Amino acid sequence: MSSSNLQRKLIQIWAFVFKNWIMTKRNVFSLFEILFWPVVGFLSVGLLTNFLKLDPNMSGFILIGIISMSVTQVCQIDVAYVLLYDLWSKSMKHTFIAPVYPFQLIFGSWLIGVFRSFIVFLLLSILSRLAFGFDFLRPGIGPLGLFLLGLFLISALVGMTVCILVLLFGYKADVAAWSISSLMALICGIYYPISILPYPLPEIARAIPLTYFLEYFRTFYGFEGETKALLGWGFGLTAFYLMIEALLFKAVLYRARKNGVLIKLSE
Amino acid sequence: MVLAIKAEGIYKTFRSGWRGKRKKEVLKGIDLQIEQGEIFGILGPNGAGKTTLLSILSTLLLPDRGKVQILGIDGLRDGHRIRERVNISSGNANFLWSLTVQENLHFYGMLYGLAGKAREEKVRALISLFNLEEHRDVPFDRLSTGMKQRLSLAKSLLNDPEVLFLDEPTVGLDPSVSIWIRDQIRSIQKEKGMTVLLTTHNMREAEHLCNRIAFLKSGEILTAGTAETLKRMVRMGESVRIEFKGKISEEELLRTDGVINYSLMENLCEVIVDDGEKRLGPLIALFAQSGAQIKKVSLGQTDLEDVFIEFAKEIDSDMGLCV
Repeated sequence: MSSSNLQRKLIQIWAFVFKNWIMTKRNVFSLFEILFWPVVGFLSVGLLTNFLKLDPNMSGFILIGIISMSVTQVCQIDVAYVLLYDLWSKSMKHTFIAPVYPFQLIFGSWLIGVFRSFIVFLLLSILSRLAFGFDFLRPGIGPLGLFLLGLFLISALVGMTVCILVLLFGYKADVAAWSISSLMALICGIYYPISILPYPLPEIARAIPLTYFLEYFRTFYGFEGETKALLGWGFGLTAFYLMIEALLFKAVLYRARKNGVLIKLSE
Repeated sequence: MVLAIKAEGIYKTFRSGWRGKRKKEVLKGIDLQIEQGEIFGILGPNGAGKTTLLSILSTLLLPDRGKVQILGIDGLRDGHRIRERVNISSGNANFLWSLTVQENLHFYGMLYGLAGKAREEKVRALISLFNLEEHRDVPFDRLSTGMKQRLSLAKSLLNDPEVLFLDEPTVGLDPSVSIWIRDQIRSIQKEKGMTVLLTTHNMREAEHLCNRIAFLKSGEILTAGTAETLKRMVRMGESVRIEFKGKISEEELLRTDGVINYSLMENLCEVIVDDGEKRLGPLIALFAQSGAQIKKVSLGQTDLEDVFIEFAKEIDSDMGLCV
């Protein structure tokens, strides 16, 4: 690939960072997404752990869960927004008549999602230290970085799922942007180990990479994981699902061009 | 002849309802050849399939059957390469609502890979070309319909497209804005030499802008050609209206060269002739010979709308239908 071609591809990716950034700036609800809901949720759960007089590690177990949940929700919504904004503005066809590849669309919006959710992470980890004495840096920068990378990649997966559903079902699919991550939180053990879930939910949880990333990070706070090579499972499954979703995205985009969804969603 | 657009046997059916049982056949074997640098109009009533055809040619929609070549590139296999060289503007334009005019243009400029300074200049030039300076910082959802349409056209020129698709570019606009937009399209096309494919149900717009026109009805192209050719094809010619006093011989009138048809009321005769200017003299002479006193003569051209109605009639009568 020539340097001008590479530059062109990078600019196209940057277009989606630009779009999501401007939309975020103009949308008062995005401030709620970054500040209000994560902070309110975090403080409520943190205060509950104080009331229940949980030991520091047990409190940590729960705080890791709520912070992970907030980070994932904020990051995935940005990926989902890349098509949701077009859906709500009825401008879908202008995006897809431009010479952009689906990966540029996802990658650009994911970058802004990573930025926004990292702010959420910083905010909540500082709060957890100040309000509840919980040290998020105890495992060290390396494990924390890997844990966050895992969360960001899972967010890309969830956001892509929403985009795929939008191309399949149009307006009926936007509810998925808020429900998939909540459903995942229920199954993957945000507040509890997955072993307490009724059958077959633990089996389903083992098929979701978030379960492994949570278990991995909790090992630094005295909780053993159910399997070894937690990171291997986490990243392995994530890579597998990313490949599947990339193929699915291509297929549903082809279908949308075939059945006229791109036009219908622009009218 | 270098073709910008070539379509062969394009069929498209939309399915809806449970398991796609409800079908609507929108295009029924469209063949089209458009030369580079041409402004080609697709005329037809609502629901004729104009937008569907344009969407297929612009790679937004895939046909069920048929071949599409844009600038020599296979539209079904290599849509991405085509998208780099074409662009679209639609009536009832929709863009990201909270982005301003300038931001929308920057966003779409980035989608076409335009880098910093080049993009800045391009956006500035397009804002100036479409008189959007005062609105550059206005969010899209606060623009008037005319301004939205100008933005849509500006966006469609960001990548200097070789083929520009315009889907009802003046729909819903008041006449003065429509005329301004048409003039802009005409002058930009002349300056850049791009191929323009335009859909419209406005006959005047087609006649004013297009080198060639195709009539589309119920998913089929009834005919195509220049406006003049089409008028000649249906032998609709031009009308000569003569106000007079006295009597004329209807037999003589019909025998006059170039007369296609006529209608006669008390003091008014409307004669349809193949060439108004050529037949005017003999007609006046005939009235004079008959002893009629001519009060007023006017020459009018047949409207393209009449031609379209005539074609639609012919097709429907071939199919045993009534218009």
